[in-house]
Amino acid sequence: MNCLEFKRLALAEPHSEQHEFVQHARNCPECLKYLGGVKQMDADLSASLDVKIPSDLVARLKLHQGMETPVEVIRTPIWRQPRYAIAASFMVVFLMTGIFTTSWLGFQQQISNDYESLLAGVIEHMEDVPMTPVWEVERANTTANTLLASYQPNMKLKHLDNLQFTKICPMGRYRGIHASLETADGTVTFAYIKGEPIGEVLDTAYQGMVTRVKPVRGGNLVIVSHSSRGLQSADRQLEQAIYWEI
Amino acid sequence: MSDSGKKTSSEQVNYDMLDKNQKYALLIEAHAQDLYKYALWLCKDKNMADDVMQEAFLRAWKSLDSLREAKAAKGWLFTIFRREHARQFERKQFQYTDVEEMDTLADGQVGYDDRPEAFALRTALRSLPADYREPLEMQVLGGFSCDEIATILDISSSAVMTRLFRARKKMRELLDDDVVSGLGGMQQ
Repeated sequence: MNCLEFKRLALAEPHSEQHEFVQHARNCPECLKYLGGVKQMDADLSASLDVKIPSDLVARLKLHQGMETPVEVIRTPIWRQPRYAIAASFMVVFLMTGIFTTSWLGFQQQISNDYESLLAGVIEHMEDVPMTPVWEVERANTTANTLLASYQPNMKLKHLDNLQFTKICPMGRYRGIHASLETADGTVTFAYIKGEPIGEVLDTAYQGMVTRVKPVRGGNLVIVSHSSRGLQSADRQLEQAIYWEI
Repeated sequence: MSDSGKKTSSEQVNYDMLDKNQKYALLIEAHAQDLYKYALWLCKDKNMADDVMQEAFLRAWKSLDSLREAKAAKGWLFTIFRREHARQFERKQFQYTDVEEMDTLADGQVGYDDRPEAFALRTALRSLPADYREPLEMQVLGGFSCDEIATILDISSSAVMTRLFRARKKMRELLDDDVVSGLGGMQQ
């Protein structure tokens, strides 16, 4: 291999392990320097394309198939430690007292907290991602059912002619299915978030939008629309489209 | 490609014994980061990159049974991603009035190194003809060998070598002496 052939290969595959290539680099200082320059440019190019990888990237991708790996934490049994036992006794006393003194007002407060937290999660996510893509209807429906199969296997969605987009997204401290419907009154965003259903349907207005948090089996539905009619229309549609296979 | 290329036969046997969920988890853990960088570079937008990646991994999950060898996983995944990217973007033609300004904005949004040397390198890469740029992106961002790139792009290995040779030659021409001499200390 001569210097010209070496340089040609250096530009095509600088990390080549061909015997002749490696030998030539050892014996020709000028070509070795040339190769160093090529490798340096690749390394700099790679560094210029480097980005901070989101810490939840792997978890998000695994979530698609409901495959979150359970975190196994090995701990020493705490009941063997006296200070924890004492603390636990106090906790039991407080807990029992708490249970007996919980009033209807407290219960309402809890519902209100859950409701606010769900709504805040969805609104926060909508503000982060103000624009969602518009997919073909078939694709949006297929994706919705694929995502549901992993997220909430018993829950199904009938074909919706106006479904635009579906994705599993982080929403505040929750993760849920985020989707949008095109209605005669504009685009309506809705989210299904798994968890404890809140007690009742709660409607509110927020920055020119009307919102509804609605308990459904296994979680809550959050609907956000720019108009009341859009919200009602989407809610009716979803009521007819969501069903359960148990 | 390096890491997966070094898989031993015993690792392949172990791979065969995994169930679909485990294979998928392995695929994500091993390649999601490289694919994310590649996705960001191609899409120039975090949300778009997320969307295309999500779709690509869904497709990968559906056709995971067709992946026979663990060592081919990365190339297989990049192929799925490239097809999904093409599918989503084939109808979207952005009209940029000032390409350089848009690139600067996109780079800032994505979170790339904002030093002038880094920007010059990215600009040089962007200015290459697509045929030259694609194999270079794959080699630099994906760590693929010429043969692997040939498989992904469905062209001959010698064609890949020619394109890579021309791509790097052009890059060196485009980067003036000031930039080239400023390189070398860029990696952190």
